[in-house]
Amino acid sequence: MPGGTNSTEMTATPATRVLGISAVAATAPMILLGLAISPADVVQGEAVRMLYLHVPSIWVAYGSFVLTSFSSLLFLARSKRRPDGGRHYDRLAGSAAEIGVLFTAITLITGMLWGKVTWGTYWQWDARLTTTVLLFVTYLGYLALRRLPADPMVRGRRAAVMALISFINVPIVHYSVDWWRTLHQKASLSVGRRPEITGEMYWTLLYSVLTVTIIAAWLTVHRYRVIRLEELRDEENLEMLISSRRNEKTADGTGHGDTT
Amino acid sequence: MLAEVLLLARKDLQIEWRAKVALGQVAPLTLLIVVIFAFALDANAPLLELGAGGLYWVAILYGGTLLTQRSFELETEDGNIDGFRMSPMKVHSLFLGKALALFVQIGLLEIVLGPVILLFYDVQVANWALLVTAGVAGTMAFSVCGVLWGVMAAGLRVRATLLPLLLVPVLAPVLLAGSRAFETALGVRADAGWSWTSLMFVIAAVHTVVGLGTFGFLLEES
Amino acid sequence: MSEVATVATGWGLTFVAVATYSLWVVRRGRTIGRELGIGDVGSTDFQRDADPRTDP
Repeated sequence: MPGGTNSTEMTATPATRVLGISAVAATAPMILLGLAISPADVVQGEAVRMLYLHVPSIWVAYGSFVLTSFSSLLFLARSKRRPDGGRHYDRLAGSAAEIGVLFTAITLITGMLWGKVTWGTYWQWDARLTTTVLLFVTYLGYLALRRLPADPMVRGRRAAVMALISFINVPIVHYSVDWWRTLHQKASLSVGRRPEITGEMYWTLLYSVLTVTIIAAWLTVHRYRVIRLEELRDEENLEMLISSRRNEKTADGTGHGDTT
Repeated sequence: MLAEVLLLARKDLQIEWRAKVALGQVAPLTLLIVVIFAFALDANAPLLELGAGGLYWVAILYGGTLLTQRSFELETEDGNIDGFRMSPMKVHSLFLGKALALFVQIGLLEIVLGPVILLFYDVQVANWALLVTAGVAGTMAFSVCGVLWGVMAAGLRVRATLLPLLLVPVLAPVLLAGSRAFETALGVRADAGWSWTSLMFVIAAVHTVVGLGTFGFLLEES
Repeated sequence: MSEVATVATGWGLTFVAVATYSLWVVRRGRTIGRELGIGDVGSTDFQRDADPRTDP
């Protein structure tokens, strides 16, 4: 196959294979840097190593959700003018949202473990944490909406509107939760202060962000292609269903099969 | 436009008045929730008094979600949306009409549930003006969001479970603001009731604007 | 849990999650691709859509 698609690597092309290999290759130094080479923090001790996963994850998650909103906007704006309905925007929105949800979950898990060591508790009702958990649930809902059986264009449009409104809601949620906590529990906020990160820690963090971004990019591309495959399969199934119905009807000869 | 909005809202309310689901089923259910909260909190009187504002909004959240569900169940079951699409009425009228009808129904639910909370949880109203304004603001935000997400889930196969999942995260700030504002109005918290109320007006306004802009996309078939 | 154990748990969970998801995506792609016989028949159509950056 000229494009590199063959029966063993369905969703790969040479470009994405390079991306995938660099993702794997970049992970090894990230583990070394994060877990061994970079020093323990003076205040946080070993727990600081959690931030090399936590910070890149939330960065990637936010990036994915921005991508989802942006492609949803393009889908709504362009789909009428395109013969194919601009469904690639819809696919991109869906795949990015799924990767965003995955990395939001990782952010929450690593953050809670970090909090247990540093704060002595898994959870604080702090603005950032509460917003993140609401964001997580919102996009779980978005993915649930996308999974429902419905006309692809109708579902795509609804999902796109939902992505846009959810995105607009992020500042509202953050602002109100922030306000809630600052008005009534000033103390809890000082616990969540960001420690200064410099030197080796800074470079480790930067490198981790880069690595996780590559991993997420690779995942998004592959997920996009799998969504495309799912659509092709659904279309094919539908065609088979229609033709089998038609055969039934002809075999029947009396028109009883005419329920479609 | 205004005439259309009122016409659509009246249609919804007439159907509701005949079926009496809001008063006959949803209101008793929210009443039950109020009782169940007392079980959950071991009928701890000081705790119930402190939490009255928040528990009230949780009960309304639940009841309101059911009303939203029903409001769109009717539309899709009878193919009303198709009928609307063929009529010369504007999409914006449908959005505002449904929101108005939902506002009246949820407001009615709140009026029924209010005295119950006051009696059962033994709370006194310290600031009536704030209580009523916050109630109106919260109901506005609720009904506008409800219409948006209600039509989003309408006609889909598992909408009964989907709608709450979609609606509750969006309404979380409303619940937060409503609870805090009511706590001030009920005299258990000293501050910021009016600020929280204005936040709810802002949420309602933002969603009205976004809803008017996107409602057309949600109604389109194929 | 000690600090080191917590860090190990966090990193472990993260890598398991990402690896599981990646495997699931690749496997799913292969399974559906095989079902559709892509690689023999529908490949041109698929090829066109393979890259999200190119507008079909």
